Amino acid sequence: MSDFPPAPDVAGTALDGIKVFTISAGENAALCRSIGVEPAADGSAHPIYYYIATQVAMGKTVAGLCETCEFDVDDGPMMGSSGVRFTAPLRVGESYKVTGEILSLVRKQSRKLGVMDVLTYRLRLHPATGGPALLETDNVWVLPRKELAA
Amino acid sequence: MSVTVGDSLPPFTIERISPEGMRDWSVFLADPNPIHLDVEAVRAKGLGDKRINQGPINVAYVINMLLAAFPGGRIEAMDSRFLDNVYEGDRVTATGTVTAVEGNRVSCTFTLDVDGRGTVNSGTATIAI
Repeated sequence: MSDFPPAPDVAGTALDGIKVFTISAGENAALCRSIGVEPAADGSAHPIYYYIATQVAMGKTVAGLCETCEFDVDDGPMMGSSGVRFTAPLRVGESYKVTGEILSLVRKQSRKLGVMDVLTYRLRLHPATGGPALLETDNVWVLPRKELAA
Repeated sequence: MSVTVGDSLPPFTIERISPEGMRDWSVFLADPNPIHLDVEAVRAKGLGDKRINQGPINVAYVINMLLAAFPGGRIEAMDSRFLDNVYEGDRVTATGTVTAVEGNRVSCTFTLDVDGRGTVNSGTATIAI
């Protein structure tokens, strides 16, 4: 492992967004039907919006997040894991904003993937009008470093 | 609602993963990665010859299973590990097992399995019922 340069030092990079994400009734319904269910009748949005809203409204695009890690998005980032803690359900018609940060970028050697960087970042979804987060999500991506392959 | 440790949760199945769904989700996720949209792009990357389902969709199938198992319930926490890809044409089934019941809070493990290839996603969830 000492033969490889260290992963870029990106821990602490802010991912606060400036976009406001609104869960529209139409999109929520289309999303639900695309995965074989009807939208909830109580006005709650599909919980998978935890991932969608935070990804779309974070302060970087997927490509931009990869670029921060000095990784070309075309080299194929892979999802490793995704965790979420809700304090309240997401609602159709409500608007949200995102705060967050990169927690770590760790270079590892994998028997299967060769050299890779493991990116962990945390995002929180807040009401657009302000207030505490309704959810916090930690995502882990694997960034294969083909250029460092033996 | 009576829930007991060891209970199996009713499965949720998608009979056929469709390219149309991936196209829709590329818009939902604002992520136009061509491996979800273009077979040629998948081939060019050496990833096979079928479009690859977006990872969050696979989590959504599991959420559907959990919400169907506990009508009116609310997911409080969920952790998913991505073990393998889901491809267009795959038949996938989400299942779960209750591992703990504390008051109105149910914990479970879950998997998402592809016919013929095994588990592609696994994890844990806590639901307030």
